[in-house]
Amino acid sequence: MMRYILSLLTVLMLWSFPATAQNGPLRIEITEGVIEPLPFAAPDFVSDSTTGAEFGRRIAEVIAADLTGTGLFREIQPEAFISRVTSFSSPVQYADWKAINAQALVTGAVSVDAGGQLVVRFRLYDVFAGQELGQGLQLVGTQDGWRRIAHKVADQIYSRITGEAPYFDSRVVYVAETGPKDQRIKRLAIMDYDGANVSYLTDSASIVLAPRFSPDGRQVLYTSYESGFPRIYVLQVGTAQRRVLEQQDGTMSFAPRFAPDGRRVVYSLSSGGNTDLYMMDIGSGTSTRLTNAPSIETAPSFSPDGSRIVFESDRSGSPQLYIMPAAGGEAQRISFGQGRYGTPVWSPRGDLIAFTKQSKGRFHIGVMRTDGSEERLLTASFLDEGPTWSPNGRVIMFTRETQGAQGSASLYSVDISGRNLRKVPTEAGGSDPSWSPLQD
Amino acid sequence: MNTGQIISGTAHIGLIAFAVFGGAFKSDPLPFEVTSVTAISAEEYAALIDAPRAPEAVANVDTPEPPAEGQGLPELTSTSDAAPDLSQPEVTQTPPPDNVPEVVDPVPVPEAEVSDEPPVMQPPQEDVAALVPEVSPRPQPRPAPRVAPEAVAPPEPDVAIDEVERQETVPDAEAAENIEPETEATAPEEATTEIVTEAEQVDPASAAPSRSLRPKTRPAQPQTAQPQTAEQTQPAEDTRTAARPQPDESAVNDALAEALGQAGGADQGAPSGPPLTAGEKDALRVSVQQCWNVGSLSSEALRTTVVVKVRMGEDAKPVSGSIELLSSSGGSDAAARQAYEAARRAIIRCGANGYDLPKDKYDHWRDIEMTFNPERMRIK
Repeated sequence: MMRYILSLLTVLMLWSFPATAQNGPLRIEITEGVIEPLPFAAPDFVSDSTTGAEFGRRIAEVIAADLTGTGLFREIQPEAFISRVTSFSSPVQYADWKAINAQALVTGAVSVDAGGQLVVRFRLYDVFAGQELGQGLQLVGTQDGWRRIAHKVADQIYSRITGEAPYFDSRVVYVAETGPKDQRIKRLAIMDYDGANVSYLTDSASIVLAPRFSPDGRQVLYTSYESGFPRIYVLQVGTAQRRVLEQQDGTMSFAPRFAPDGRRVVYSLSSGGNTDLYMMDIGSGTSTRLTNAPSIETAPSFSPDGSRIVFESDRSGSPQLYIMPAAGGEAQRISFGQGRYGTPVWSPRGDLIAFTKQSKGRFHIGVMRTDGSEERLLTASFLDEGPTWSPNGRVIMFTRETQGAQGSASLYSVDISGRNLRKVPTEAGGSDPSWSPLQD
Repeated sequence: MNTGQIISGTAHIGLIAFAVFGGAFKSDPLPFEVTSVTAISAEEYAALIDAPRAPEAVANVDTPEPPAEGQGLPELTSTSDAAPDLSQPEVTQTPPPDNVPEVVDPVPVPEAEVSDEPPVMQPPQEDVAALVPEVSPRPQPRPAPRVAPEAVAPPEPDVAIDEVERQETVPDAEAAENIEPETEATAPEEATTEIVTEAEQVDPASAAPSRSLRPKTRPAQPQTAQPQTAEQTQPAEDTRTAARPQPDESAVNDALAEALGQAGGADQGAPSGPPLTAGEKDALRVSVQQCWNVGSLSSEALRTTVVVKVRMGEDAKPVSGSIELLSSSGGSDAAARQAYEAARRAIIRCGANGYDLPKDKYDHWRDIEMTFNPERMRIK
């Protein structure tokens, strides 16, 4: 009897198992992958004129440099190309690009119209899928603005492949430093994000500090010692016109930063040996006090929605990071690691806060979530400080100063994953960078 | 007649029979041990017991006789002790006097040379102050441009990069016939298992730990997969996808269809034969993940899990144009599109030469649904 039951069960199992397991497709789950730069090919943009061909070559170079500079892409050198792109409209030989493992291909054409304007068209292909990624685009601009056109094309490609918001068509204002350490000349300078097109906004007559872009990128706030005391100025980037912000006598103002609405400025004011945070309406010049503590409160930075302010305070005994409502009120400490934290900056995406940390004799640039969790140090050196976010919140630029009497300050950038640490090319030394929003 | 009475009767008859005929079964008594004894009287016994106990009492005891009257006292004699010899011992030699130590003038204490300048701190030499840590540190990942599930050491400089390792083969001059084609030596690209930031790189000269533990990420919030048809994300593929049956949204319908034996439709007949083994599935999974590059994905796309369907040809290569996004969870439509495109690149690239799948089980792997879950890659 038992044998009978057992054999019946076995038969039932054998009969039913394949039926339930094999119905439908095979299912597998992939949880491990690789992280490596995506190989792409960007042959020179084609043109039917000599002038256009020269622009086509330079534009392709800038696009490749932009993409490679992110650390997320790897350019395949033109010497490895099997097929040549001779016409913008001819079909792509996918097999030739697959053979050299080009996973993305950019083709483009440049022409100069009757008015002397550059007309740039481009297409992006997923080589292995054998299809175009998104629609082709056409951009028109002046010949002088060819670099901006190239940045815009690169922005489209970057954004289309990664899904991140673009950031190549942006600028950086910083303090250009020349001369030895004890006689250093500091001027405000502005450049493209990649170090090109530098121009100087102030002369070398007085020390300037901490420039900060307005949310629309048209104004810059900075601190100057022109009057002998630190005072905050507002400068129009387009015209280089500037004016000083209202200030009470006997006080010092520093660390200014715009609110997201661009109409108010939050800053530190030192009066009678105590430093607190204030908010000023630029239009009316009236200030409101945000903190009232015997400790030092400084380095305020708004959240992108304008509702909160992160700042640095030594109220617990050592400099730490705190968050409070934008109108002032009770502050909540968010940094709890060992060491001293300073210069917090809220990411434009709102999810992270970048900061400077001093610990065990070294300086770090790090990021943490807005509740202080998931702190991660991205760099380590003799002196790293003053982080600023790229417009898309993916890259951080900061100042790195080398040790010794011959030490100099330079600008560096790093991806928020900690990869791709690289020096930003500047004509001379540079410090205190502030990244603009994406240009119109 | 009941059983009890039968038993009782049988037992009684047996007992009576034994009593009557029991004598007939008598046997000889068993032999027993014999011990010889001797009878003794009470006196003899007492003598035996008492004999060694006490000696016999002696009736006559010798007593000294008292001295007789008139006898004088016995003479007392004594000899005097000899006087001790009190002669002085001869003094043989006077010991020499101890040497008095010479008094030496104390050495003058040199004057302290105090200068106002602080001493120059010399950093210890690295090879002198090397401390051996008691506990060997956790092996630190080495920075490398590529992050993969398994770390790969940097290949030799003259070796070409390829996914498989291969020795260089050169034509053998002595061999009569060259069978193997001439190939270049290849090795996999250098890789590390996680991203190593500058702050995390370990200074080999320092024995002190300089790396803080990375805080753990929060567990991902449960997300419900939003069914998303290929039509919504790939308008260009409308013509191709329209003819295909849409996936059922109702699990109940699926279950009903399965129970009624209607699953799969006409082109998805239940495959016969043994299914793929766990090893064969693993091999496929490993093949795909080698090409799944999430390095160029946005932060949001790295939070997006996508389920991708692919039709395989009999040559184990993915059929061009058959790859479609079934569903996604955790991110926006745009993020799902980037995640899907990265998954599609992985399937096509690593399947370009055909996956290693058993041909006799084609029915089982003709249609594959791959779930790409980047959660573990996000924290690297």
